[in-house]
Amino acid sequence: MRSRTVFFVLVATSVWLAAAAPRGAAPAIERSVVRIVNHAQRPNWYSPWSPGSTQWLTGSGFVVEGGMIMTNAHVVSDARFLALYLYGDPNPHEGRVVVEGHDCDLALIRPVEPNLLDGVPALPIGGLPPLRSMVETYGYPSGGDQISSTQGVVSRIDRQIYTHSAADQHLAVQTDAAINPGNSGGPVVQEGRIVGVAFQNNKQLESVGFFIPTEVIRHFLADAKDGTYDGYPDLAIRTSTLENRAARRLAGMKEGESGVRVDWIAPGGSADGSLRTGDVLLRIGGEPIANDGSVASGDLRLPFGLLVDRHQIGEPLALRILRDGARKDLSIPLKTYPGNVRWSNQYDRRPRYYVYAGLVFVPLDREMVKTFGDDWMSNADSELVYELLFRPQEDPAILKKERIVLLRRLDHPVNVNIAFFRNILVDRVNDRSIESLQDLVRAIEENQGPYHMFEFAYFGRVAVLDRAAADKANAEILRDYAVPKDRNL
Amino acid sequence: MKTLIRLQLFALAVVALAAPAPRLAYESQVVVLVVTTQDYDPWKPWEKKTPETRIVQAVVLDGSLLATTADLVEGATVILVEKHGRPLREPARIVHIDPDANLALLTVDSPSFFRDLRPAVLAPSMPTEGQVSTVRWRSGQLEVSASRISRIEVGTTYLGALEHASLIVETDLSGGGWSEPLFADGRLIGLTYAQDGQSSTVTPVDILRAYLDAARAPGSYREFASLDVSWQVNRDKALTRSLGLEGEPRGVLVTQVPWGSSGCGALRPRDILLGLDGHAIDAAGYYEHRRYGRLKFTQIAVEGHHAGDVIPGEVWRDGKKVSVRLTLRPARAAQDLIPVRSSGAAPPYVIAGGLVFRELDGDFLRTWGKDWEKKAPPFLMTRYDLFRTTQTPRRRRVILLAYVLPSAYNLGYGNLETLPVARINGRDVDSIADVDEAFQHPDGDFHRIVFEPNPVRAEVVLEAATFEKATREILDEYQIPQRTRLPETPLPDLGDACAERR
Repeated sequence: MRSRTVFFVLVATSVWLAAAAPRGAAPAIERSVVRIVNHAQRPNWYSPWSPGSTQWLTGSGFVVEGGMIMTNAHVVSDARFLALYLYGDPNPHEGRVVVEGHDCDLALIRPVEPNLLDGVPALPIGGLPPLRSMVETYGYPSGGDQISSTQGVVSRIDRQIYTHSAADQHLAVQTDAAINPGNSGGPVVQEGRIVGVAFQNNKQLESVGFFIPTEVIRHFLADAKDGTYDGYPDLAIRTSTLENRAARRLAGMKEGESGVRVDWIAPGGSADGSLRTGDVLLRIGGEPIANDGSVASGDLRLPFGLLVDRHQIGEPLALRILRDGARKDLSIPLKTYPGNVRWSNQYDRRPRYYVYAGLVFVPLDREMVKTFGDDWMSNADSELVYELLFRPQEDPAILKKERIVLLRRLDHPVNVNIAFFRNILVDRVNDRSIESLQDLVRAIEENQGPYHMFEFAYFGRVAVLDRAAADKANAEILRDYAVPKDRNL
Repeated sequence: MKTLIRLQLFALAVVALAAPAPRLAYESQVVVLVVTTQDYDPWKPWEKKTPETRIVQAVVLDGSLLATTADLVEGATVILVEKHGRPLREPARIVHIDPDANLALLTVDSPSFFRDLRPAVLAPSMPTEGQVSTVRWRSGQLEVSASRISRIEVGTTYLGALEHASLIVETDLSGGGWSEPLFADGRLIGLTYAQDGQSSTVTPVDILRAYLDAARAPGSYREFASLDVSWQVNRDKALTRSLGLEGEPRGVLVTQVPWGSSGCGALRPRDILLGLDGHAIDAAGYYEHRRYGRLKFTQIAVEGHHAGDVIPGEVWRDGKKVSVRLTLRPARAAQDLIPVRSSGAAPPYVIAGGLVFRELDGDFLRTWGKDWEKKAPPFLMTRYDLFRTTQTPRRRRVILLAYVLPSAYNLGYGNLETLPVARINGRDVDSIADVDEAFQHPDGDFHRIVFEPNPVRAEVVLEAATFEKATREILDEYQIPQRTRLPETPLPDLGDACAERR
């Protein structure tokens, strides 16, 4: 069973902070805050056919317009049954997920009982709280039955990794108000308005929590208006700073001109086909990009990606670039970057796999390498880490392909003598290049020869199965190892 | 009661075996080396680290020689010898060293030094079982510890490239692994080079004798050889039959033949290597050694052979048996693209505009500490694991921008580190000498350093006009005495590229 960060008890703080909350404001807010218990079932990527163990975790949410409750996606991910507890109501009520945004860690849920939220005030959504201003958090840390609120100062506003997906960066606000597990999904309030959704903390920093600011909330709500969530657009490029004058001169930039150099472009991202490596991004959405890659945002300077975040998929993004000494204005239609999935934590989906003759094949992605534990970057086999993280830098075209891993072997006399059978990348099967799980299935099922030949990446390693014996053993192996289906492609 | 009697009998037996142990002889055959080393700092290759002194053992050999393991004395600033446990120390010097075999020979120039010492008698070969004695001097006392031979294993020398059979010994000695000699029946059977708990690993007398013979022989030293081909076990009938070889699986499947290896020009990927030098190889990669039983077949290249020898082999290729002849190549860590160890020589480097360049090697990676394989940057470690042995005629070393000495000149690059360099000013760089040369040829008004693709940055650009002045000022500011240290000798030619897989 996977461990999920679940929630510490901070009951004593709630008493003190409730007293410090502005008189008259707390009751209305408290009535709108909901405790959410998620009875989740998380698949096991090492036994990808298994539906996984069940677990329960608690979080918070708050009532918004439309009879819905907003919370974090990580509070309701992989839910099998959601129980909602309203303020002052001891009875659980069933909830269902309406829409989830895993890239921005937000979700909307709706109670199954149609009129349950009648009379519960929907909290109005405010703006970005200024630095050093006070905010209050509300929620049910550690799953306690009684609501808890804490108060703190907005100490930093920056773009940072959202750990739920681990592959997306958006604006986040740091506060010293206690944000503990169980607070997740709870509202952060200033002057009676929502200014954020509590969502994560940082183990390396003490007394610091983070909340999702309203510009991300509004982006999510606008996207989800049609009932489906499409996600954030992504330029899918890597740039480098141009603080050194020589680098700017070589790029042909004038004195006073600033920008960043495009170093790498992912195939299939918004920039693919429009930008080239070596281009200098001078302006984005009309705003000049500084040599350190920042843009002005009010009194703050924030990474230029923030201006991409402020768009929805399908909208055009204006870019001014410098290419081969000439300045050009481009308008790029923004789209999501599907390739990001391989680097993201995955939720609400069954792992993809194929089992043949006891050999378990899966795509190479973050969930696959996480079978080595949280410290997978140190513990996973080098070929997996290299192919997932570093090879795409050298060969972006590899991102168009799916890399397939022989994850492990279910031992049987038909396969027990092959030399390599664990955590090894498959390059070719029966002389066919393998660029997807489907390719692999076809290469095996369409083979009419007496043997199946598996060629692995690196060091020239191979494995061979006798086709007739493997076909014969297949059903027996699935039965003996209680694998209900040989594939989920 | 029966058990007790058995134990007593066993104890008597041990005493009986131990009784003839020539303790007095050991006192004249084993000496202490007090070795002071001062390694170069891999991050500041122009500086040496704090000197370290260690106490290690050596054994006296015929010809006024002392033998010890190379890793303990390589690059030493001072080596002193103590004999008979007395603190009278004489300076010693290295006569010959083979870091890849991990053996070294020393002598003492004082004419009288060896007068009251007796050379150890070498056993004809290593024993395969039984009790042996591990001997060392400790605090002026000779310590003779009971040890038991556990097994013989073919493995690679510590930080070297030679693969040979070693003795694995369970010992009563604590904290060993510092070249303690082992004796059986009063004869030398090997020197320890590692100890984990109570299990020590021993370079056997067979390797020591071959080394002595080669080092003493007139003319240039004939290096040990290694096969250096990648292979996989061949236990699966389906695999061998798919290659047309009927019957029980036998031989090993050759998977990769690196440039410069003994297989180059003779073996090909997908060959089944059935035999070598007259020995049949089984499907697990073992052969039957006339004295030591089943050993991994890579031992064949070592035993009775040296680099340059040609040995016959038999492979299954394209559905038939084919005879091949392998020219054995030296076992050298330096032949790898990312060597596990650079020799004790001063590490080459270049400082250009505050950018510190050096070669990527195991010495650098080990600076991440005891768990370096887990703690060094994954970007470097994955390269080390996947491409370490893949030196090619066009790619012989990985050059790193190790880090930057920040200054106004290199503004914006101060946080860059451990990035592999592909080209400088349009020139491929394959050695530190290439780096130095490339900076002599700016690309117009600039120096352009292009990195191998990485998650951090594609290139660094510096002003050429102020480069020399800025470099001098940075060297002054950071008090670095020397801008560059170039390799003393270029890498040797390893011949033609090998045949690729069909």
